[in-house]
Amino acid sequence: MSYLEHQIKSVPTGARKLLYLNWSLVLLLIAIACIGFAMLYSVAGGAFSPWVEPQAKRFVLGLTLMFFVALVPIWFWRNMAGLAYGGSVLLLVAVEFVGVTGMGAQRWIDLGFMRLQPSELMKIALVMMLAAYYDWLDLDKTSRPFWVLVPLVLIMIPVLLVLKQPDLGTAILLVAGGGILMFLAGVHWLYFAAVIAMGGGLIYAVLGSRGTEWQLLKDYQYRRIDTFLDPASDPLGAGYHITQSKIALGSGGWAGRGFMEGTQSRLNFLPEKHTDFIFTTLAEEFGFVGAFSLLALYAGVLVLCLGSAMMARDRFSSLLILGIAATFFLFFAVNMSMVMGLAPVVGVPLPLVSYGGSAMLVLLVGFGLVQSAHVHRPR
Amino acid sequence: MSDAPETDDALPGEPRKPLRPLAAILRARERGENPDLIEKENLRARHERMRDASQHRAESRLLVLGLFFVLAFATVGIRMGMLATSPPAEPRLAGAATISSGRADITDRHGRVLATNLETRALYAHPHEMVDISQASKKLAGIFPDLDAEVLEKRLTSGRKFVWLRKTLSPEQVQAVHEIGEPGLLFASREMRVYPNGPLAAHILGGASFGDEGVRAAEVIGVAGVERAFDAQLRAPTPRPQPLELSIDMTVQSTMREVLAGGMKMFGAKGASAVIMDVHTGEVIAMSSLPDFDPNDRPPLPTKGDPADSPLFNRAVQGVYELGSVFKIFTIAQALEEGLINPSTMINTTQPLHWGKFRIRDFKDYGPQLSATDVIVKSSNTGTARVAQQIGAARQKAFLQSLGFLEPTQVELFEAPSGRPLVPKQWREIQTMTISYGHGLSSSPLHLAAGYASLLNGGTRVTPTLLRQYGRQLGDRVVSERTSAAARDMLRKVVSEGTASFAEVPGYAVGGKTGTADKPRRGGGYYKNKVLATFASAFPAHDPKYTVIVTLDEGRTQILGKERRTAGWIAVPVAAELIRRTAPLLGVRPESVPAPTAGVRQAQNSNG
Repeated sequence: MSYLEHQIKSVPTGARKLLYLNWSLVLLLIAIACIGFAMLYSVAGGAFSPWVEPQAKRFVLGLTLMFFVALVPIWFWRNMAGLAYGGSVLLLVAVEFVGVTGMGAQRWIDLGFMRLQPSELMKIALVMMLAAYYDWLDLDKTSRPFWVLVPLVLIMIPVLLVLKQPDLGTAILLVAGGGILMFLAGVHWLYFAAVIAMGGGLIYAVLGSRGTEWQLLKDYQYRRIDTFLDPASDPLGAGYHITQSKIALGSGGWAGRGFMEGTQSRLNFLPEKHTDFIFTTLAEEFGFVGAFSLLALYAGVLVLCLGSAMMARDRFSSLLILGIAATFFLFFAVNMSMVMGLAPVVGVPLPLVSYGGSAMLVLLVGFGLVQSAHVHRPR
Repeated sequence: MSDAPETDDALPGEPRKPLRPLAAILRARERGENPDLIEKENLRARHERMRDASQHRAESRLLVLGLFFVLAFATVGIRMGMLATSPPAEPRLAGAATISSGRADITDRHGRVLATNLETRALYAHPHEMVDISQASKKLAGIFPDLDAEVLEKRLTSGRKFVWLRKTLSPEQVQAVHEIGEPGLLFASREMRVYPNGPLAAHILGGASFGDEGVRAAEVIGVAGVERAFDAQLRAPTPRPQPLELSIDMTVQSTMREVLAGGMKMFGAKGASAVIMDVHTGEVIAMSSLPDFDPNDRPPLPTKGDPADSPLFNRAVQGVYELGSVFKIFTIAQALEEGLINPSTMINTTQPLHWGKFRIRDFKDYGPQLSATDVIVKSSNTGTARVAQQIGAARQKAFLQSLGFLEPTQVELFEAPSGRPLVPKQWREIQTMTISYGHGLSSSPLHLAAGYASLLNGGTRVTPTLLRQYGRQLGDRVVSERTSAAARDMLRKVVSEGTASFAEVPGYAVGGKTGTADKPRRGGGYYKNKVLATFASAFPAHDPKYTVIVTLDEGRTQILGKERRTAGWIAVPVAAELIRRTAPLLGVRPESVPAPTAGVRQAQNSNG
């Protein structure tokens, strides 16, 4: 069902578009980012440098980009989907050759003013591509094997490239995000049942291959799995992240120690305290109340996106909105689970809160697409 | 209608409806309507149905997703609540202790801590992660005055990826470095050895320093004293390290150090040492050597001068001296044991005693003969030497051997083997005679303490130990109970009537022997005016519990217009003060009610 079948006249034009933005969503995003600034300020020991300042600059840049993207009609973005996807794949390939290595993984391209992580870009590009694909595809072909294989290939290309970096976290996010999108597009549930069964088999194979010549994962990845299954087995080695963040969460109690009072995070107990593990600072300083508030803000974003998706009349818009919402959900769900010891440590940032440019910019651009779909929906 | 969509999936149960049924078109033409409108209408209806169906499916899928979201939120929320209500654990340092953690504490005999660990931080830099090296260097130099900003900046910009800056930081310094906010300045966890009582038991504890150093932790190794002697045991990686329990009593040790330091100052001595030992168990209750040092900040080994003058030198264990007249009791006791004399046997003390070209004389002439007891009480060299002549070299050597005077003490200190007694190469009659009154054989004060303990405890050998013992040592018998009792009586008389009258402590019967030994001159001979004053004692005299050895090096005092250097004037008052103050701490009950103090007596006098 194409967009053009609807009455485009009802779509606001010009500066009036600003009135029709989903302003609640904008406010929620700003609130989340502010929590992030506060935490980075605290982690730096009460200073704007080295983390708050660049983070705030990037957030302003991201918001500007979001508005820009929001004002451009959604059909333009649909036409751009292929280009975005192709470009991201090319960048992922490029990062193999000109990438900067950080933390044992090749992930960045240095643009001078910032370091771009193509894998972050890919998260949005993949959602756009799949939404456009299902928009283009006849409804009745959705569940035919060939037309199921196509999106699978579209997902697997970037996944394999990302795994090669190696960035297990992003790979999981891409697979899960793509899968959710295919599920929402209406692919028959038997396919998912089959994939889950295969996934079980794969896990068996991965664990079975350990120590053999054809070992499928790196040693450190196996260790992370081990420590996830039994954190106490190595509390000072690889299980350190989990143990420490659990202690931080525990010591926060209900109301926390108070702003800037967290010991765990500020005294270098935690590695990556300003990036992937920033949630522990929040949990320690503001306790259950603070952590739950952040969770509520994230939930608010999801609810607004779901509402927006329900209002959308065309397939591309609704799938795009849901896809971006799902990606956002996966970010914080995986991050929080990892920090709380519900999932292995895979290196996924807490969206809009963790220090890091690419993820924040890309997410804000994604919300720009959501806003564009929201503004340009037929009424 | 080749393009008729297959809508079976979307519209189950409804028969396929052609878009342009001929009849409908014909009917429309009859009515003059445009058949295209009908087609359009049909198309719209079909699209609507399709849309409804797809929307139905999309909505159900969305519902599933929504449920999934709710489930995930619930899981995370519940987990959060669980963690928030979990008891807060003490945060631990990053990567602490892969090398070694929890070196065991060292405590005294009552469990009071003598050595423990303190978690601290070391500071290092990753220059490639630093934002502003010159600014950080300036601020670091402000925090650590001994760092120079320019030198530091040069080190940090030299291209190295890792630079150690400081070994141990105080919490304030850690905070100050944090406040620089430089991401390239990093902390490593350090466990530091701390001696809360400072120099109190410096020579016993020794000290510790860092061994293998890593970014995550550094090894703490003992460098001296019990820290080194028990290094492996203290370091043993056990989940709950058991403290090392020493025989030391911290209160007694503290009193001893204070009394000894006071005595050393009063008599202008250049060094002093003291030992209190349990005569039955061999436990060293307290042991001091002055000057001493703070094991928290152990001075470097001296590079010049006599190492025996360094504060690191443990005079009580490492220092071997000719201890003088304190040895006479061994000679007399052996003669008693061998049946050569009894306490009242008269012994020839005519002056001087010639042996070859040597002449032995007493401090002053005591007449032609003295009883064996009086030889000890008056400290007659000639009498002792004549008794030793009867004993002979071989028996004397065997006896001193049985008391442990010919080997280093077995005490659990790293330095103990270096306290090797100096034994004459040729042990002939003249050596036997000089050794009988304490010259010609050098041993440490700790040897002397163990020798007195063995002789006076009833006659069984004890070996000195620094570890807490539970129950008395059952050593070899060195003398009979009777000899031991006779020796105790003689030593008591030295205090009550002899050279050690200053050792009378109200309430406690002290028995002991003074010893004033001329210090040997380097390269042979003796100094005329440099002496080592020793008082070896035991209390309570008739059933001793503790031996007390006090040694002062080159002490002197002016009394009644004369310069006094002998032990009776120098070492005895110090030992008496030590016993007076420590006997109650050791739980020794006074034998009589102590006489009223001088002040009270004066008041009575003025009334009467």
